[in-house]
Amino acid sequence: MRDIAEKVVARAQAHGAQQAAASAYQVREVSVQWRDGAVEKLTEATTRGVGVELYVDGRYASVSTSDLRAEALDTFLSDAVAMTRALAPDPFRALPDPQLYAGQSALDLQLADPDYGALTAVARRELAQQLEHAARNTPEGHRILSVTTSVSDSHSQSWRVHSDGFAGEKAGTSYWLGAEVSVQDADGRRPEDACYAGARWRGDVPDPQGIGEEATRRTLSRLGSAKPPSGQLTLVVDARAAGRVVSSLLGGLSAAGWQQKRSFLEGKLGAQIGNDLLDLTDDPLVVRGLGSRRFDGEGMASRPMPLFSAGVLRHGFVDTYYGKKLQMAPTTGRLSNLRWQLGAKDREALLRDVGDGIFVTGFLGGNANGTTGDFSWGIQGFAIRGGQLAEPIGEANISGNHLTLWPALLAVGNDPYRYSALRTPTLVFGGVNVAGR
Amino acid sequence: MSTALAAALQYFGRFGVDEPLIRAALAAALSRGGDRADVYFQHRVAHSLGLEDGAVNRAWSGIELGVGIRVLRGDQTGYGYTEDLTPESVRQAALTAAAIADGPSRDRPIPQLVVSAIAHRYPAQTPWDQVAAATRLPLLQRVQERAFAADPRVQKVTVHFSDEEGAVLMVDSDGRVAFDLQPMTLIHLSCMAEDNGRRESNGGNIAGRAGLEFYSDAKLDKLVREAVDRTTILFEAGQPPAGEMPVVLGAGSSGILLHEAIGHGLEADFNRKGVSIYADKLGKPIAAPFVTVVDDATPQGARGAINVDDEGNAAGLTTLIHDGVLQTYLHDSISARHYGVAPTGNGRRESFRHAPLPRMRATYMQNGPHTPEEIIASVERGIYCGNFANGQVQIGAGDFTFYVKNGWLIENGKLTRPIKDVNLIGNGPKVLEQIDMVGNDLKIDDGGWTCGKDGQSVPVSQGMPTTRVRAMTVGGRG
Repeated sequence: MRDIAEKVVARAQAHGAQQAAASAYQVREVSVQWRDGAVEKLTEATTRGVGVELYVDGRYASVSTSDLRAEALDTFLSDAVAMTRALAPDPFRALPDPQLYAGQSALDLQLADPDYGALTAVARRELAQQLEHAARNTPEGHRILSVTTSVSDSHSQSWRVHSDGFAGEKAGTSYWLGAEVSVQDADGRRPEDACYAGARWRGDVPDPQGIGEEATRRTLSRLGSAKPPSGQLTLVVDARAAGRVVSSLLGGLSAAGWQQKRSFLEGKLGAQIGNDLLDLTDDPLVVRGLGSRRFDGEGMASRPMPLFSAGVLRHGFVDTYYGKKLQMAPTTGRLSNLRWQLGAKDREALLRDVGDGIFVTGFLGGNANGTTGDFSWGIQGFAIRGGQLAEPIGEANISGNHLTLWPALLAVGNDPYRYSALRTPTLVFGGVNVAGR
Repeated sequence: MSTALAAALQYFGRFGVDEPLIRAALAAALSRGGDRADVYFQHRVAHSLGLEDGAVNRAWSGIELGVGIRVLRGDQTGYGYTEDLTPESVRQAALTAAAIADGPSRDRPIPQLVVSAIAHRYPAQTPWDQVAAATRLPLLQRVQERAFAADPRVQKVTVHFSDEEGAVLMVDSDGRVAFDLQPMTLIHLSCMAEDNGRRESNGGNIAGRAGLEFYSDAKLDKLVREAVDRTTILFEAGQPPAGEMPVVLGAGSSGILLHEAIGHGLEADFNRKGVSIYADKLGKPIAAPFVTVVDDATPQGARGAINVDDEGNAAGLTTLIHDGVLQTYLHDSISARHYGVAPTGNGRRESFRHAPLPRMRATYMQNGPHTPEEIIASVERGIYCGNFANGQVQIGAGDFTFYVKNGWLIENGKLTRPIKDVNLIGNGPKVLEQIDMVGNDLKIDDGGWTCGKDGQSVPVSQGMPTTRVRAMTVGGRG
């Protein structure tokens, strides 16, 4: 596949592109979905393709194909160059400054499990079966309507080649286990919830027993949920759920949004956005990290980058193109992993500190206005009373604005969620508008 | 070989696909004792263009080519796919899918291949493969010029245009063959406006299964007017109050309520597994007698229209709720067999990389007895929803949401002030029961809606007459 990336760059130049960058990829994916005692679906495939960015006479296009036959590729590139020539010129388009390719970390990120391939079809089915068994074999297992479990793994490789000499290769593996449980509620509702866990190395994936039990526990806890009263309340957001709030904040860090003036964080570099507790870094160099990389999608060497330090906005996601438009130094166009300045307390201690409020375990729909920072999301979770979790709540919304939410960040937990590159800890916010009954 | 079969196989012939290759793939697929198998060949060529900062200065294009092979044993599915259409690669993918069964082949010969006749709901008059890139550029420029001209507060405009020509060939182990050409196009206009130092952005899009002829002047004018109006009104818009109140859904894209509140819950895979809140409600009244809801593959040129589903089954109009009574689920072949009914033509997939699932097409409510004016006049205090960004549902608990981008506060039967950016949440069956007025102004929205399920996106349409829901929870701040 590396040959294909090289050939695509060469052929694009032969057809008239002054610069080109190609990424060829090959991904093997296997998944088993299991439901109520039997395999529901087996999927197994190796997929591949190539994408290329073309710089032709000051014009730019990005194209991709999965038809890798030599003659088809050549026609495809010739058509793509012709299409690019029809566009208006764009003086800001170019490959990155080659100096930014230098300085890749020498750290072994260990993104690919050397034993990938050792997991057999039989072992996958057994894992799926164990997940179901764990979910059902719980004290109130008789209330379960259905259990669906999944076992999936993948091995991906990609090769990136630029016409200016950059060449890079990536390989990564991942393994995921999951269990989804549905139970019967008294009023005809059939609440469902799930638990998923995964890792880059098979040995780091937790035991199926805990995953299955957790899925059932979470689902049973939804029984009898009701709307909370409306009001302004303290919100404790579960580490697993907090990614929703955080990714909405990070949406404001895109240089494209800044340049297009569609970001509530535009022009706010150096400004206080949250209180001291808002302190996070984009860290691409986490060993076995889900979002780790040695170079980014443009070939630029990856390094840690503070996003917020003690509440102050320090850096955004600036790629080469929008960096040129904004006359800013490029950083990287995309998030890798987040590293939080963690607090000292776990969830239980935070709940005790809060006393009364709402514990959010999940979000349902909703959206945010990226230009103004306003958000409105559906939530589910539990009432908090006297520092303890009380009755389950649902069918409620929260709303507010990021520019007032983060100054009201009251606490950050010590418990980053391991199964997302965002690694969010439990977060506590004061005075959030909750709409219920 | 019949003329019809030769015609159906002709398109993929250029990629080396012929009857022997298809027969070998199906034989390999059934080699371990599967009940049935099908192959799904797909070729899709998509282009898009982007206008930003005054110029059409970026383009994307993509070619997808591959085959997906599915083997069924009872309710169980084995699935494999490949981008490489050589006989050996296709056979390997078929053997992978075959592993869902683990016995000997039942020696089931594949009968003679017979092509199904299908509808013609989206013949493109000017197909995209005959349109030069240079011909598309002025479309985006026209939209930009009109957006700037429409209101001096508009400061930034982006226009995104895309078109697609797709071909699919499906053959199953019963010898059924279906071939379809599937065009698609979409234009999206996004505006950022400034007013006394404040900024707001919003946009709009129109989409359909059509060729270049889709873009009439009138359509583009309406797109611009709506996108600019929806942006500039945000400067006057506030947050609605929080809590339960009556909600009036405007005609058109409010069909998102049906999509989330009932559509997904009626997808038969969820009911077959017993996990939908609608499981066991067939034949029962679930809404007022003037509520009739359909899922329709037939609207000419609509984004959610299909001539045939992605399993080769005929697709027509399916009535989900008739006069308030639940009629049927949305079926693919697996669930239809499970329930012993005919498939409803709802087996759809994102691409050859995915096995089909029961999915919606164009979902809408039929007209009711009320006028839009009397519906608004009936509300003492509530909100009116104009247009939407997105929605989501929990299939089993029934809780669903949709996000209102623009709306109005209703006070004493009148629209009084604009509102924005608010999530609404309700429970599907409860909200259906609480639909107490339905207007006579059904509109099927022509927006570029996309539905996601199990990691697969498919294009859909939705529609609604003006409708009143007695109470929903509005996520405001007042």
